[in-house]
Amino acid sequence: MSGLPFTLAFLGDVWSFVQENADELAEGLRNTLEVSAIAVAGAFVIGLVLGAARAHRVPVVSQAAAVYVEVIRNTPILVQIFMLYFALPQVGIRLDAFTVAWLSVTIWGGAFNTENFRAGFEAVPVRYREAGAALGFRGVSTFLNVTLPIGGRIALPSSINTYISVVKNTSLMYVIAYPELTTVALQINALTLETTETFTVLAISYLTIVWSLSIVIRLVESHLALPEDSR
Amino acid sequence: MSLPDWVEPVARYMLEEGLANTLKLSAIALVGSALVGITLGTLLTIRFLPTRALIRLYIEVWRGLPILVTIFIIFFALPAISTSLRFDALTAGAIGLILWGSAQVAEATRGAVGSIPREQHEAASALGFGWVGRHLFVILPQALRRLLPPMVGLLVNIIQNTTIVQVIGAPELLETAERQVERLTFEGEEHPIEIYGAVMVVFFVISFPLTRLAAYLERRLA
Repeated sequence: MSGLPFTLAFLGDVWSFVQENADELAEGLRNTLEVSAIAVAGAFVIGLVLGAARAHRVPVVSQAAAVYVEVIRNTPILVQIFMLYFALPQVGIRLDAFTVAWLSVTIWGGAFNTENFRAGFEAVPVRYREAGAALGFRGVSTFLNVTLPIGGRIALPSSINTYISVVKNTSLMYVIAYPELTTVALQINALTLETTETFTVLAISYLTIVWSLSIVIRLVESHLALPEDSR
Repeated sequence: MSLPDWVEPVARYMLEEGLANTLKLSAIALVGSALVGITLGTLLTIRFLPTRALIRLYIEVWRGLPILVTIFIIFFALPAISTSLRFDALTAGAIGLILWGSAQVAEATRGAVGSIPREQHEAASALGFGWVGRHLFVILPQALRRLLPPMVGLLVNIIQNTTIVQVIGAPELLETAERQVERLTFEGEEHPIEIYGAVMVVFFVISFPLTRLAAYLERRLA
C-alpha cells in the first residue's frame, strides 16, 4: 500500500474528511486562534510592565515579579492548568473552561516574557540613557523614548519564541475539554474512527499556524531590526 | 502536630510510582534527545542539499507541533497505520519527547559545531582524520562546551513536559496525583489543592536549581 495512487487516494480521503467535519473544525480553529490572540496580547502587556519593573528595580513590584517568574517557569504549565480548573473549586473559586484556557496561557506567557523584556531592557547601554538625560528626558520619558524602542527590539526574538510556545500550549486545553482544535479533533476521531485523517488534518493545521506565524513574525523582526544589526 | 491520615498513602504512591516514572522518563528523553539531536545537528553542517532539507524538515515539524499532538499521533494514529506500531503510554510519551527534544538539540548543535573555527577542521584533516573521526574526536568535544547550557535548559523543559504524558494515562507524577485526588473525592474527601500543590512543589524543587545552573553556565561561557 504505497506509491502515488495510494497517496492521491489518501489525500482525497483527507479532503472529504475536512468537508464532512468542516463546521466542528472551523469552530476549533476559531477557539484556538481566539485564546492565542488574547494570551499573546496579555503576555505582551505583562512582559512589558513587569520586565520594566525588574530592569529598573522598582521596589516590591520587582521582587514580586521575580517570585511570579520563578514559580511559573519552574512548574509545568499542565499542573498550573490543573490547579486553576480542578483545585480552585475546593475553595469555592469556579472558573469556566474558556477563562482557564486564556488565563493559564496568559500567566505562563507573561512570566517568560517578563524575563525576555527584562533581559532586553538591561541590555540597553547606560550611556544611551545618559544621552537621553542630557537631552532633557526624565525617568518615564527616558524609558518610553530610549529604553523601550531599543530594549524592546533586543527582546523581540526571544519574545517571539514565547508567543509561538503560547499558541502551541493552547492544545493543552484538551485536559479541561475546552473545544479548541485538539479537543475538537479528538471528539471527531471518537465519533468517526477516521484516525489517520483526523491526525493528518490536526498536524497540518498546527504546522500551518506555527509556520506562518514564524514567517510573519520574522518579517516584522527584520523590519524593526536595529540599523546596526542589519548589516 | 501530625499529618492527617490520608496523606501517607497518597505521598507514598505519588513518590514511589509517579516521581520514579517521571525521573525515568526524563532520563530516557534526555539521553535519546541528545544522541539523536547531536547526530542530526552535526549532519546538518554538511553542505549537501538533500540531507539538509530532510533534517530541516524533521526539526521544523517536531518543533512546530505541540508535544501533546505528537504524543497523540504516536499513541493513537500509528497503531491505526500498522498494529506493529502499538506502544504503551510511557513508551509513546518517551518517543514523543525525544522527537521534540532532538529537534531542539539538533538546532543548538548546528550552531555549536558551526562556531568551531575552520582551522580545527584543517588541523584534524592534516592529522589524517576522516569526516567521522574529525567530528567525533576533534570538533564535537569542543562544541559540547557550548552545548552544555542549552542542554541543562532542555533538561528543565523535558522534566516539565513529562507531565503531558498524563493525557494518555502514563503513571507519571501528575497522573498519580490525579488518581489520588479522584480516589479521595470518591471517599468523600476533597484535597486537590494540597495534592496538586505538592506536585508543583516537587517540580519546583527539581527545576529551580537546574535553571540557576543553566543561567550560571551561560554567564560563564559568555
